[in-house]
Amino acid sequence: MQDTWGIPGPTFIVGYVIALIAVAVLAAAHRKVLFRGDKNARVDDLGPQQVAYLNGGDRLAVYSSIGGLRAAGALGTSGSALVQTGPVPAGVTPLDSAIHHAASGRIRTRDLIGEQWVRSALDDLRGGLERRGLAVSSEALKQARLWALAAGALALIGILRLIDGARNNKPVGFLFVAVVVVVFLTWRLARTRRIATGAATSRMRELRERHGYLSPAQSPSYATYGAAGAALGVALFGAAALYELDPAFAAEAEIQRAAAHGFAGGSSGSSSSCGSSSSCGSGSSCGGGGGCGGGGCGG
Amino acid sequence: MPPGARPGGAAPRPYGVGLGWRPEIAGFVAGLPGLRFAEVVAESVHPHGDLPDGLPALLDRGVAVVPHGVRLSLGGAEPVDPARVAHLAAVARRLTAPLVSEHIAFVRAAGIEAGHLLPIPRSREAIDAVVANVARTTAELPVPLALEPIASLFDWPDDELSEADFLTEILDRTGALLLLDVANVYANSRNRGEDPLDLLDKLPLDRVAYVHVAGGAEHQGLYHDTHTDAVPPEVLALVTELCARHRPPALMLERDGDYPPAAELTAELDAIAAAAGYPAITA
Repeated sequence: MQDTWGIPGPTFIVGYVIALIAVAVLAAAHRKVLFRGDKNARVDDLGPQQVAYLNGGDRLAVYSSIGGLRAAGALGTSGSALVQTGPVPAGVTPLDSAIHHAASGRIRTRDLIGEQWVRSALDDLRGGLERRGLAVSSEALKQARLWALAAGALALIGILRLIDGARNNKPVGFLFVAVVVVVFLTWRLARTRRIATGAATSRMRELRERHGYLSPAQSPSYATYGAAGAALGVALFGAAALYELDPAFAAEAEIQRAAAHGFAGGSSGSSSSCGSSSSCGSGSSCGGGGGCGGGGCGG
Repeated sequence: MPPGARPGGAAPRPYGVGLGWRPEIAGFVAGLPGLRFAEVVAESVHPHGDLPDGLPALLDRGVAVVPHGVRLSLGGAEPVDPARVAHLAAVARRLTAPLVSEHIAFVRAAGIEAGHLLPIPRSREAIDAVVANVARTTAELPVPLALEPIASLFDWPDDELSEADFLTEILDRTGALLLLDVANVYANSRNRGEDPLDLLDKLPLDRVAYVHVAGGAEHQGLYHDTHTDAVPPEVLALVTELCARHRPPALMLERDGDYPPAAELTAELDAIAAAAGYPAITA
């Protein structure tokens, strides 16, 4: 019986697994560089909404602003729509003004991100953070996702070999497992999401420790900490802090409690990249099956 | 030895004004530049696990943190639970506290938890029980114990002694210090229609380790020591009267809920400092 494509099964599977590992490791290394950010970037002077953006993207930035406006008595709910309950407080951010303005027309929380002024305030906020090396730029994200092409090509080769090998009545069990891993890797790489750079993520951890008193676990008295404390609490510890601040309001405003869970937030993107490289682990177990006498091998 | 006193007879430096550390206002407490003294509910501290978030930073700053027990039931007819005494002692060691405090009250009887601090009758029999329980407790404690009389909304019919005689006898027989709650003094005297200064004049004020100052509110004709309202001017006036007689080494704001904006807490701390003649700790 002839080897499929003229390459013996064991040789192909070993080469395939090496290619898989190479793509995963290179992609992970490239992401590390792409998402590193400015090592000397500072977060001390960031406002709560900037911290919130880094921690949970647009949605948490909006929630943080809502928290501050609510604590200042400027925002309430009517039904499930946000309404103004007072004048816009002094010294607020453009995002605060935009949200407060949007509330004059009764707007639902989930529609805020798409509202013109709010959208533009969020874009400005992100732009500033990108320039400071704290937020991952869309350009860097695009580059990171390019690795999905390499993984996708590898998946395609594997699938073709799988088909031809099966037609040839060759064992394809190991190859099948490797292809599944490559398809998963492709999918993860293609949907790479990342908000905060590595530098920002570690700085944020320090901020969270320093402001541990705002953690919902402490049942912080937001009346004592004021509007700025409320906004920072939401920014650092997620929407749960908004429920701690004002449960009835948060429920009526349809704040999604799990939306940004503080500790997960920005780092979830990076941990999934580790996930993909650790999937090489399963690839190497395929390699271990190199001696494929009667078993399933690389087609 | 009162808090602040050092062995060797050096002049004790008073702690001044402090406040009750609570997790809800930990960030506010951490931001008080002049703070040298705080109190923490002893039962909220694990003697061997992690300290509540925010407390280690205070200890690192050299702030004296006093464990304040609320569940020992020193006034109970039955002996204090050795496990609770051991916990209080371990917490005192953990915090390297200069002293600990507990209430002259009972919180359980015959195994049933009241969930509140309940007053004990001012009788000879009750004094014997308290003295025995305090002795059992201080035998295990590494530091002095201060006893706090509680606010009571009623008096027992079998009271034999005046409040001053009752407290003085307990302090004399146990050697314990006094944790005087001026808000309680105010509440009790107002509800009994007495003059709070009469009690101050009769108490052994040199035995006061520190003082609680708290707010309250009138409800259905009775003044309740709520710890969730602002400190009324009458209580601050009582602080001034107390300090004119014998200024205690430390006074603290005791707030247990419904925490106001930081500016109001700051104003209350400053008002206590002004009433006592101690420097403000807020700036």
